[in-house]
Amino acid sequence: MIESILSHGVALGAVYALIGITYNVMYASSRVFSFTAGTVGMLGGVLGSVFISTLGMPVIVGFLLTVLAGALLGLIIEFVAARPVLKSLDQHLYVLSTLAVSLILLQLTAIYFSTDAVPFPQVVPIGPGIFDQKFWLPILACVVTVGGLEYLSRNTLIGRAFLAIAEDNYAARALGLPEQGLRMVSFALAGVIGVVTGFAAGQMMFASLANGPLLNFYGFVPVALGGMGSNRGAVIGGLLLGLFQQMANYFFGGVFASVAVFVVFIVVLLARPEGLAGSATARRV
Amino acid sequence: MKVTRRKALTGGAAVAAAAATGVFKPALANSEPIKVGYLPAFTGPSSSTGIGIGRGTELAIKEINDAGGIKGRKIELIMRDTQSDPTKAVNAAAELTRRHKVPVIWGPLNSGESAAVMANIARDKVAHLHPCWVDTLIDIKKYPLAFRSAPSNQQIGGAANHYVVNVLKAKKVAVISDATGYGTASLDAYVPMLKKIGGEVVYSSSVDANNPDLKPELLRMQSGGAQAIMPWSVNAGFLARIINTRADLNWDVPIVGQTTLGSGQTKALLAKPEYWEKVYPNNFRNLCYAADGKLPPHSVEFVERLKKAGIDTSDTLLWWVACGYDGAKLVAEALRDGGTSPTEIAAYWNSKVKGWKGVYGTITFSPENHNGFADTDVIMCQANSLKDGAFKLAPGYV
Repeated sequence: MIESILSHGVALGAVYALIGITYNVMYASSRVFSFTAGTVGMLGGVLGSVFISTLGMPVIVGFLLTVLAGALLGLIIEFVAARPVLKSLDQHLYVLSTLAVSLILLQLTAIYFSTDAVPFPQVVPIGPGIFDQKFWLPILACVVTVGGLEYLSRNTLIGRAFLAIAEDNYAARALGLPEQGLRMVSFALAGVIGVVTGFAAGQMMFASLANGPLLNFYGFVPVALGGMGSNRGAVIGGLLLGLFQQMANYFFGGVFASVAVFVVFIVVLLARPEGLAGSATARRV
Repeated sequence: MKVTRRKALTGGAAVAAAAATGVFKPALANSEPIKVGYLPAFTGPSSSTGIGIGRGTELAIKEINDAGGIKGRKIELIMRDTQSDPTKAVNAAAELTRRHKVPVIWGPLNSGESAAVMANIARDKVAHLHPCWVDTLIDIKKYPLAFRSAPSNQQIGGAANHYVVNVLKAKKVAVISDATGYGTASLDAYVPMLKKIGGEVVYSSSVDANNPDLKPELLRMQSGGAQAIMPWSVNAGFLARIINTRADLNWDVPIVGQTTLGSGQTKALLAKPEYWEKVYPNNFRNLCYAADGKLPPHSVEFVERLKKAGIDTSDTLLWWVACGYDGAKLVAEALRDGGTSPTEIAAYWNSKVKGWKGVYGTITFSPENHNGFADTDVIMCQANSLKDGAFKLAPGYV
């Protein structure tokens, strides 16, 4: 039982953490919570299945095409859902615009792919048991993504420019940083992280339309738990969520698992509204 | 009698009025086609069922029209694709009843769309035949002109329960469903039925269909001593996870339940094809291969006719095609022997359809019972035996 809680819990937690990071990467450069993160994640599984299983492409080609599609999707989302509403950010119009894009993507997937779950290919033939791809691939994707983002922000100019934009948008622009260009790059990067998540989770969750709303919802929990904009918080929140959900699955039963998860979520937010890894900000009055 | 100018004028006016109101029309109208409303879902998520049933429906109508139609009049199917969308089904039904004034509608072919249109078709007083399983879609008080040419969910659950308890002799049973309306309603309905026939329910629960790990649920079933698992869901992913997890636990209890257990989508999601062993979905006696590998004689004859008409069954299910064929035949017989008004059609079904031998099943209607399908025609089959759209009977049936 412990083995099953750990293997499924950590793998699932890594998926939630990655979707949380997808939210955060878009949020950092735009202050927009794009509710397309989970839908893009779902598309990672769907596109991987189409390229590799349906079209018979080699795994690496299918993966690279999925990544490319993710970057393109990110750019489209920035152009269609984020850019037009940034001037009216106070009204939180982004909730509507990003949800609308998310719904469009879901409908297109239903029409041109399937409403049923479809198998995702085994890309690395190891397993079965806890060495199965469905467990370690999401964890590997999470480790590589977090490491890559850390490297980007500490060692590259563009990474530092991201940090500057995230820290103080107006000051960064005053210093001459190309805010719009950086925002486009960050949305493309978020698109890539989203589809890589879906691709890595394909064996565990299948390529399924239903994963879109599920990831949108459960992927947002680590963001709120870990603190908005904090990738470390998202990883901690995601892993805790996955593990707790699995424990609830075993101890309370599948029907109560979601209830148990959200009870804890609300309790944590009541105790620490800024999230586990977030810091309370002073509000000007 | 003296014919006055006034009488002649009055008579002339009467003749003109009669012509205008259609008294002279029947001679012309008799050669016109009889319109039949038809609401399949040819696109969208329910389209595989719609396409299968559509093949049977179109074959039956073609055979009837090729043989001269109904008293010299052809049947004209006024088809509207509902696109698997209840809203579109409502609009399409309104168009059929109000614009085309059809006397009878065949379809919609899935429960979600039927639930949306039942009240509208009843309000417009049009005869209605559908093959949808949800129990509440037949109600002689609310929908007096509506009839079902397929089993109800009660019959589907009853057949599965009977197979588990009386044929497999499994007394301890685990019942699981997804958390959708269909899943929870099935669980609520079938667990008491199971207990009534002597089954001991050692586990019953509704679970989120997208839960990627069902091992905890199956461990609970195992620790309760379950001798059979009965899943109620139309979600192929959910059903495949149950089958895969059973294999991961090296557990070989039979899995008995809804037809989706035997679908190609479920098969595609299995980790290994052999995991499909000992999985028994619902099916229909007339359309299953017996132990000798043969279909019943009248089904063999039906398959021959399908082949002659160039209808392929390898990419669909034979029972869908048969269901469509029987539905169209029931409508055509009512038009031929009952009449062409909605009340005449319904009266024919109420009074004359007794032990009607279709390809799909035997049907009996009465004024008190518009659920016509025979209980004995609903059986279980072997999921891994699909060949040319039909399955083998599950072990234990003669």
